[in-house]
Amino acid sequence: MSEFKALSEAVIKGDIQSAVAETQTALDAGAKVQDILDNGLIAAMDEVGEKFSTGQMFVPQMLRSAKTMQECMKLIKPLFQEGELAGKGKVVIGTVRQDLHDIGKNLVAMMMEGAGFTITDLGVDVSPETFTQKAKEVGADIVAMSALLSTTMPAMRKTIEALQDAGIRDNVKVMVGGAPVTENFAREIKADSYAPDAGSAVIVAKKLLGIS
Amino acid sequence: MERLDIPTFQPRLRVLNREQGLAIHEAALEILEKTGFKMEHPRALKMLADKGCEVFDGNWLRMPPHLVEEALKSAPKDIGLYDQKGAKTMHLSGENSFYGTGSDATFTQDVDTGERRRTVLEDVGNFATLVDGLENIDFAMSMANPEDVPIDYIYIYVFAEMVKKSNKPIVFIADSGRDIAKIHEIASLVVGGEEELKSRPFILNYSEAISPLRFPENVMEKLIFCAQKKIPICLPSGSNAGGGAPVTLAGAMALGIAENLVGLVVHQLAGEGSPFLFGPNVSALDMKSSVVCYGCPEWSLTQSALADMRDEIYGIPIWAFAGASDSKVMDAQAGAEAMFSIITALLSRANLIHDVGFLEYGSTSSLEMITMANELIAMSRFYLKGIPVNEGTLALEAIERVGRGSPGSIFLMDDHTYDHFMESLFLPKLIDRSRYDAWEKEGALHLYDRCNREAKRILAEHEVDPKPDGVLKEIDQILKGG
Repeated sequence: MSEFKALSEAVIKGDIQSAVAETQTALDAGAKVQDILDNGLIAAMDEVGEKFSTGQMFVPQMLRSAKTMQECMKLIKPLFQEGELAGKGKVVIGTVRQDLHDIGKNLVAMMMEGAGFTITDLGVDVSPETFTQKAKEVGADIVAMSALLSTTMPAMRKTIEALQDAGIRDNVKVMVGGAPVTENFAREIKADSYAPDAGSAVIVAKKLLGIS
Repeated sequence: MERLDIPTFQPRLRVLNREQGLAIHEAALEILEKTGFKMEHPRALKMLADKGCEVFDGNWLRMPPHLVEEALKSAPKDIGLYDQKGAKTMHLSGENSFYGTGSDATFTQDVDTGERRRTVLEDVGNFATLVDGLENIDFAMSMANPEDVPIDYIYIYVFAEMVKKSNKPIVFIADSGRDIAKIHEIASLVVGGEEELKSRPFILNYSEAISPLRFPENVMEKLIFCAQKKIPICLPSGSNAGGGAPVTLAGAMALGIAENLVGLVVHQLAGEGSPFLFGPNVSALDMKSSVVCYGCPEWSLTQSALADMRDEIYGIPIWAFAGASDSKVMDAQAGAEAMFSIITALLSRANLIHDVGFLEYGSTSSLEMITMANELIAMSRFYLKGIPVNEGTLALEAIERVGRGSPGSIFLMDDHTYDHFMESLFLPKLIDRSRYDAWEKEGALHLYDRCNREAKRILAEHEVDPKPDGVLKEIDQILKGG
């Protein structure tokens, strides 16, 4: 990590300009892209996650760090061969059918991306069929659903059933969240996990895929 | 000494000057005219387009300011809400403030075990009964999202339960045009017909647009339904600072007001002169947990500001919140946050004030919290009465009698004290001022314990005048019919 100290610090500080410059410097110096990603960017985001969860960082600061990382990724992504970029896992995420509230979902998507997951964000009002089809298409490891309204919660069950019907339920882990969603509800609809907020969504996702 | 009648000043809080209010209003108009908004209800979109809104990007619209002015002109300046027996108990206008509970809590703090558990339909009934029995709680909301009723009909069940267990006005939630029609049917049954309900409404619908600037089809269905049936409605969006809206309070207010104005315009086009309660929910998103705060000073501040704008610009009654907390239990934080919002809402003359009794940023409802708030509202209302200054209250004769009286003369013995102490002083019921030994002997109870005891007493002893059997039967028929 020490060789990317300046890069990590810039990501933690959310200083986009310096972070991008540090990434370029590392590339110019011949550093391996996988090292820049693992020991520079993701290591920094792990620390950001740690600082956030211990109350030393606020949400907008954490999101700025995530944005900083994304800007750096733009430089290094093209240097990976097709399929070589080993992310932490592929996540298909959206709010369930009829639910148009996406602030929480967006926050979860940003944080998961920052933690190294590859995100396919399907937006709002996503039907069980679309969740299923996209999960198949990208070979998702995780399907993450959000609902703010109690009246849209049943769509989570429907989506899980659709995954089942399509024969891919065993290939993906299902995460649910949103204000009215509870641990018990998650169990009842046979989701694999429930996360009460964006920070824990990342922890839950890592746990589901057996990543530390 | 002769004294003329001196009017009593009633404490009033102001947080905006006229220039600030006008600037926020103009910003709201600019949002509608330049940025526009997304209207997902085809008929509402057509209504607005026909009136001169510019359609772009499919279902986005830009609104000229004159539509807002017309809607503000036709919207009623006061709204009467009646209890279920036909008495006008909430005259929503000008300086009048009324408190009530909130809706849709996922959890409740069990009154017997103290445990936080999922809400059930019985809780809705208990909250309604408690509201019915508390003198400072003026209207009921469900306080629960019960897990033991079919989710597709949840708001119909919840409404029916409130009707059965309370006779106070009800602020209700619905999902769409489908269940609101059923709820309207039940409400009509209660008062003996649709016309009676129209002339003496005891219900007010709470619906939400989505910040920023989105108006979903099911929400507009409810808005248009209410406008046509003359059921009072409010349409706050969640324009919370840092969440649905910019983090700066002025911008969050401008956005929330812009969204509210769209609602008002559609509403007045669908039913000119129908009652619309104004006001967005401008709380703050907590920058650590990302919850929408229910105990923060920001929400109280923005609604005080809205009250100032009502007086300066809008003239129509406003929607507000108070008596809630982000604390997980009814502790000192809950008391402090509840009192902060209760008294500032009153000092600003917010009109309809909901969410009394919420813990955990609105996720948990608490019977004890409402019981405590009932007393905090009494304290605040006492404060608001101000200090009447007249012959009787200046009490010069009493001062003469006691000051120059025989040794041992005390005010406590004087007739003036006997005649005036009840209205001159605040006489608490749950706030404890007993001497230490007495308090200890009584079991050294905390305020929470006393509120718990009082809530249980009311649930056991308070009798809600029942609805006629015929009405109850018909309501059950509607519930069975799904």
